[in-house]
Amino acid sequence: MNKRITWLALAVFATVVAPCLALAQTQIVVWHAYRGKEKVAFEQVVADFNAGGHDFTVKTLGVPYDAYADKITAAVPRGKGPDVFIYAQDRLGGWVEAGGTIEPIDFYIDEEMTGAFIPATMEAMTYQGNVYGLPVNFKVLTMIYNKALVTTPPATSSELVATAKGLTDAGAGKFGLAYNFGDFYYHSALMNAFGGNVFAGSNQPLVNKPENIASVELMMEWFDVHGILPAEPSSTLITTLFNKGDAAMVFSGPWFLSEIADGVDYGLAVLPTIDEAGGAPMAPWMTVEGAYIAAPSEHKDEAFAFVQHLTGVEAGRVMALGGRQTPANMAVYEDAEVAADPVLAAFREQVEVACPMPNYAEMTMVWSPVTTAMNAVVRKASSPQAAFDAAQEDVEERVKSLRK
Amino acid sequence: MALKTATGRQVLAGLLTGLVAGLLLTALVVDAGHRRLNGVAAQQRAVIATAAAAEALAAGGEDAQDLVERLVERIPDLEELRVVDVGSRSLSASTHATDREAGVPPRRLTRDEKSLYDQARELQAARRTNEQEAEARKNEVLAEVLPDGRLQLVVPVMEGDRVTGAVQAWCGGAPADRIGGPGFAPWLVAAVCIVVFLVVMRLVPSPRARVLVSLVILAAGLWFHADLAVDGLADHRVRLEEGLRDHAFALQEICAASLPGVGADPSAWDLDRYRQPRGRFDAAGELDLEVVRAGAAPTLRRFGQSAAVLSVIALVLQWWVAGGWATASWRALVKNRSAYGFVLPAMVGMVLLVFYPFTYGLAISFTGKTLYNVNEPLVDLFVGFENYVQILKDIDVFTTAEDGSRIINFQSFYWTLGFTILWTVSNVSIGVSLGLLLALILNTKGLALRPLYRIILILPWAVPNYITALIWKGMFHKQFGVINQIVQIFGGEPIAWFDAWGTSFAAVLMTNAWLSFPFMMVISLGALQSIPGDLYEAARVDGAGKFQQFRFITLPSLKPALVPAVILSVVWTFNMFNIIYLVSQGEPAGATEILITEAYKIAFEQYRYGYAAAYSVVIFMILLAYGIWQNRTTKATEGI
Repeated sequence: MNKRITWLALAVFATVVAPCLALAQTQIVVWHAYRGKEKVAFEQVVADFNAGGHDFTVKTLGVPYDAYADKITAAVPRGKGPDVFIYAQDRLGGWVEAGGTIEPIDFYIDEEMTGAFIPATMEAMTYQGNVYGLPVNFKVLTMIYNKALVTTPPATSSELVATAKGLTDAGAGKFGLAYNFGDFYYHSALMNAFGGNVFAGSNQPLVNKPENIASVELMMEWFDVHGILPAEPSSTLITTLFNKGDAAMVFSGPWFLSEIADGVDYGLAVLPTIDEAGGAPMAPWMTVEGAYIAAPSEHKDEAFAFVQHLTGVEAGRVMALGGRQTPANMAVYEDAEVAADPVLAAFREQVEVACPMPNYAEMTMVWSPVTTAMNAVVRKASSPQAAFDAAQEDVEERVKSLRK
Repeated sequence: MALKTATGRQVLAGLLTGLVAGLLLTALVVDAGHRRLNGVAAQQRAVIATAAAAEALAAGGEDAQDLVERLVERIPDLEELRVVDVGSRSLSASTHATDREAGVPPRRLTRDEKSLYDQARELQAARRTNEQEAEARKNEVLAEVLPDGRLQLVVPVMEGDRVTGAVQAWCGGAPADRIGGPGFAPWLVAAVCIVVFLVVMRLVPSPRARVLVSLVILAAGLWFHADLAVDGLADHRVRLEEGLRDHAFALQEICAASLPGVGADPSAWDLDRYRQPRGRFDAAGELDLEVVRAGAAPTLRRFGQSAAVLSVIALVLQWWVAGGWATASWRALVKNRSAYGFVLPAMVGMVLLVFYPFTYGLAISFTGKTLYNVNEPLVDLFVGFENYVQILKDIDVFTTAEDGSRIINFQSFYWTLGFTILWTVSNVSIGVSLGLLLALILNTKGLALRPLYRIILILPWAVPNYITALIWKGMFHKQFGVINQIVQIFGGEPIAWFDAWGTSFAAVLMTNAWLSFPFMMVISLGALQSIPGDLYEAARVDGAGKFQQFRFITLPSLKPALVPAVILSVVWTFNMFNIIYLVSQGEPAGATEILITEAYKIAFEQYRYGYAAAYSVVIFMILLAYGIWQNRTTKATEGI
């Protein structure tokens, strides 16, 4: 009889009391959209943190990327979300404007802490003067070339055109250069080289600046006059051409590397400087994955401790070597193993000239009109000036109807 | 029909229902309106007190800690004050007893006080944003009701144009005595309506006239009541503004007694949320009735609109009861109660999963909801029919270019609507003819390998349509696409499919035709096989030719199956998002955009949720009108 009671007590303890004891420890939840290698590296970072003897644990939840942003928008302000979430800076402005989503972290940080990061990545985390997150990884366009076709990557736009022309045979479907030139995100590298921008210093969109027009004209010169680019470049087409050896050079980001077929010997190089823009380097827009603390979180101090770990050197090393990501923490690149990696080194070098993609909420209103303008220019339905004047009008109207 | 037989009791019941519904609902709105005004006034009192304190602190001249303590002691509404400095992240002064536990101010802020620091930073960012944008949009005075009912106000500490810190004040809650409300007006209106109605009943014998007269009486009564309520609200507003003015001048006296140099102009304390003077009264204490009225106008207009909507609801209810339909519905409900009991679970499901989201979408369409105000209550964003008006008045399909030529404005609603209709009609025609043709071929007696053909022809339907769309998109590529390579084999020039409207339309049309014929083919094939063979035999005996057999036997027999299929297909094609979004992407310049893709872009690229909801409601209305019309002309869903 007694034995039975003991067993019963043990069973009760095992099923009811023990989990309660375990739950007594604070747990913070982190949402992310990493997959594959990146996910493995991220889980590793979290496991390291949990093994680090903190008085709370971190639990991760992978969210499918398509649904991720909407899920944050819907769940976080209602207090149903995570304590920390990781997302690119392009939605930052929108979430701050909507309110109740992202906690400002100025209070936690100081200059010593922010100085550890690549300055432009920190800029991406700042909205209207306030800092909302710490940068984890960045993604940036660079030049990827087929070593079998290009021995020395071109350093200037003139060299680029000369090299590309020698490798182009449009009739046979061979091109010296391939990139998604009609897509404004890819075009940004040229635009920034000319000193262009789509905002007038603040959150007032201004897309028809003379610098922007000049950059579009140069793009058209490459495409139309020199004919070194394939028409209607979709990402599938560019991948196919590059893998077949029919495109010698490509402007693309880290996502492209996993698409390259085995057997293609490729190299990475910094995007060329633009002679037409006085020798300024092509400066692509970069996206920065930020780790943000959810505004309704009840464990903000713990959340910040984790964010600090996640953006630290140790975590950066794991993500760089394991996840093949490019951390924003500069000290990561001083690690011997990371420094020896040509791919990581190339992106690190490229980011020096990159500009953060604007994080204003108004940016979303810019995309569609500039895409229309780029398409009109590419199919020669309109001059760059006229197309971007029309785009400016369109953007202004959209912004006006949003702010009213 | 039912009106003719309406009894006196029914009509009276109708009037009473209308009165209860109309007056009760309006009275609730009036009450809510008064509460709201009281709440706003209470908050404004707190703003005035906080602004006075901020002015005293800005004047400085003495130790901040002494000053805040004195302010809280002297100014009646102020219960607690805290001053934060952003640059040094410190608490400059505080009257909270608990704050002193972590050290006497001025001292550095602790982690628990982060929210205080964040509020000051928020005000800094608000100032920046408002400076950058032409019109102020961000609040520069933060107000919040604390859980205990007190108000928390935060105003910036300015140094020139720069925000360097913030003053946080806790003020007493709303005044306890509730002033204003609907009063006796509803009772009075109800009594008058009933008396008038009873008199009229004696004079008018015809039931139909009685119902109409009772409707007029209710409408007049509700209108009169709403009018009284509007006046009441307007007066209440003026009284509250007077109260605020008196409050400000009382504070001035207090300041004059103890704080030299503070309170030269009490009207400067009466700030709106963008920290601009509201201008309701001037330094001399004169109330500017024009400004008060102008400030009240939007609220009153909104109230008028709600009253109108509620009156219509009341009149419909009255009509429903007076005409005897209410009794009939009730009887049917009682008689078939077990049947209704069985469908109840399904109805609950429908309400939760269909009607609730639908109604919510409908409600959003009457608001100005955008990304910026997504967390504000819908009632505050009400804009009436503005979104609809804006959509429907977009009639500039043609714009004149600089050289005088007319160009089509592809962004116009009517262009998109026209294109959507063209897209639907051509797709359904192609789908039906191709499907029918293939079905006729497949229906040939003795056709070898028929099952194989059938499977092959159904395949396009079985593949997910976005995959098909992306494959077709690739096939339309200018240089590498298979279609242009075929064109080149025959000696043609490669076509840039998405550069011109016509070819772009042809491309999406081909893609969708590929996707839509299998459905029509399956439907037609099924119907063809059910046509009895003796009909054809009899026709042959009568000497009818092949074409006549098709025209007078096959087609009429197919109709009952084809018409519903066509209706379905029209609705699907009208909203065929994937093909347009993935294949043509609206190119060139939005010329091949259909209504549903446009609505998507408004919602998720421009973040104008209210406008996009109105757009969707317009799409729904168009399809509803089409469905009703199609049903009427073909009686498709009857007698099959």
